[in-house]
Amino acid sequence: MIKNIRHYFSIYQSFIVTCFAESMNFRMHFLLLIIMDLFFYVSALASVYILYEHVPLIGSWNREQFLFFISIMLAVNQLTMTFVSESFWQFPLLIRTGNLDFILLKPANAIFSTFFRYVRPGSMVNVIFTWSATIYFGIQLDLNWFSWMILPFLVFMGFFLQNSIELVISCSMFWMLEGTGINFLRIELQQLSRWPDFIYQSFVRRILTLILPILLIGSAPARFLFDFNDIYPLLGMGLAIIFFWIILKFTWAAGLKAYESASS
Amino acid sequence: MKVYWSNLFVYRTNFFLQTIGPLFVFLFIKLSLWTSIYLSSQKSIIGGYTLEEMLAYHLWIMVASMIILTSSSQNLSEDIRLGKISSYLIYPFSFWEFHASNFAARQTVQVFIALLTVFILLILLPTYFSNISFLFFIQGLILSLMAGFFWFSLNYIIGLMAFWLEETWTLTVLTQVVTYFCSGAIIPLELYPLWLKEALFYTPFPYLGFVPVRTFMGESLLFWQSVLVLLGWILLINLISKLIWKKGIHLYTAAGM
Repeated sequence: MIKNIRHYFSIYQSFIVTCFAESMNFRMHFLLLIIMDLFFYVSALASVYILYEHVPLIGSWNREQFLFFISIMLAVNQLTMTFVSESFWQFPLLIRTGNLDFILLKPANAIFSTFFRYVRPGSMVNVIFTWSATIYFGIQLDLNWFSWMILPFLVFMGFFLQNSIELVISCSMFWMLEGTGINFLRIELQQLSRWPDFIYQSFVRRILTLILPILLIGSAPARFLFDFNDIYPLLGMGLAIIFFWIILKFTWAAGLKAYESASS
Repeated sequence: MKVYWSNLFVYRTNFFLQTIGPLFVFLFIKLSLWTSIYLSSQKSIIGGYTLEEMLAYHLWIMVASMIILTSSSQNLSEDIRLGKISSYLIYPFSFWEFHASNFAARQTVQVFIALLTVFILLILLPTYFSNISFLFFIQGLILSLMAGFFWFSLNYIIGLMAFWLEETWTLTVLTQVVTYFCSGAIIPLELYPLWLKEALFYTPFPYLGFVPVRTFMGESLLFWQSVLVLLGWILLINLISKLIWKKGIHLYTAAGM
């Protein structure tokens, strides 16, 4: 087990080194990536800030609670942008060109080699911004020591849930002639999850919590941190991660059966 | 244009997921958000808008976005990066003419979808469109078409950056993020701090959302002034793109040659 973890860790280390070397060759792109993410983060926070200039509460949340929620979602987004986003965009290309063959031949898990192959060092830098915002609004809310302890864990849980769902959805690319559109579907789901669950009408909220649980990504951690009794969404989040990883195993296998290598 | 249409209809699912889907999702989020804001604040008017007016504003934003924010610089920059522009040097049309005709083909489809959307919305949600009149609608449509051409020209410049940059998609996304925030696509500009609202009117962004939408909603006083401002921006940006093309083409080395 430990040997296996070490093996994958060394592979991932090589992926990271390659991506860093590549991004240092395109410095302007590296810089633009940082600026692009920063603009997105600032505009997301500024939009909420402007809204609260006109109303004292949205749902039952005040400005600091809402901004804290947005910061958690930005931290999840930053992790996604850094560690998996590029691989998701490369996946339809791998299927279309048949380059997935080379990944399948490698002596490593194919899902790992496909979806964790690319890292964006530019987005990595922005961890400073997203965590500064999360910490700042956490201080405003006067979070206790236990909340601070579990906060990083909850953000990682959000990251895992989001990407478990997106990995399952991405498998549908195996059955498509051109799968890039699925990546836009992923982004639309991310947009939906970037707002608290209470803004949605009951029917939609139930679907996006129980069937396609994207609303749990940010709402479950935030609600738990605001009220420790509100633990059920968090438990649901854990179950959803396990459920989607099991589903992924089957959809990936079915997808590979449907995959017709373009290069052979 | 025919080639572009055939490509578009071969990848129908992609077209829907990439172009139409996001607008409907964005609309759905905004309708949910604003309904929640009005219900929880128990205010009947926020920033001069009643709930019905706010929802109508966002419905019009979606229609305007269908016409305005259509083109992307992706194909354009790929042409440069992969050395495909060598072909344009022997074609009987220029690089700009080729991409402008693609834009026209795309725009025709988008305008059709926008008109169909308005027709369906008028039947399903007539109360949100009580202010609609033929004159305002035509004026809004003209402004949206002009803004769409400005957006194409802006994306053309971003695409031309491929002469200098390996990847231009970051610039495209950056422009989209700034435009969504500054054009009033998320929040009407009346709700912004006054200094910011005034500053934004020195930029083209309000003309890519807020101004056409207010015109659709019956504020026709802005029309002629907006036409002139948009014309100015279109001229300026096309002049800049010509200069960039001239500079860029000197740097160009065709791949494989």
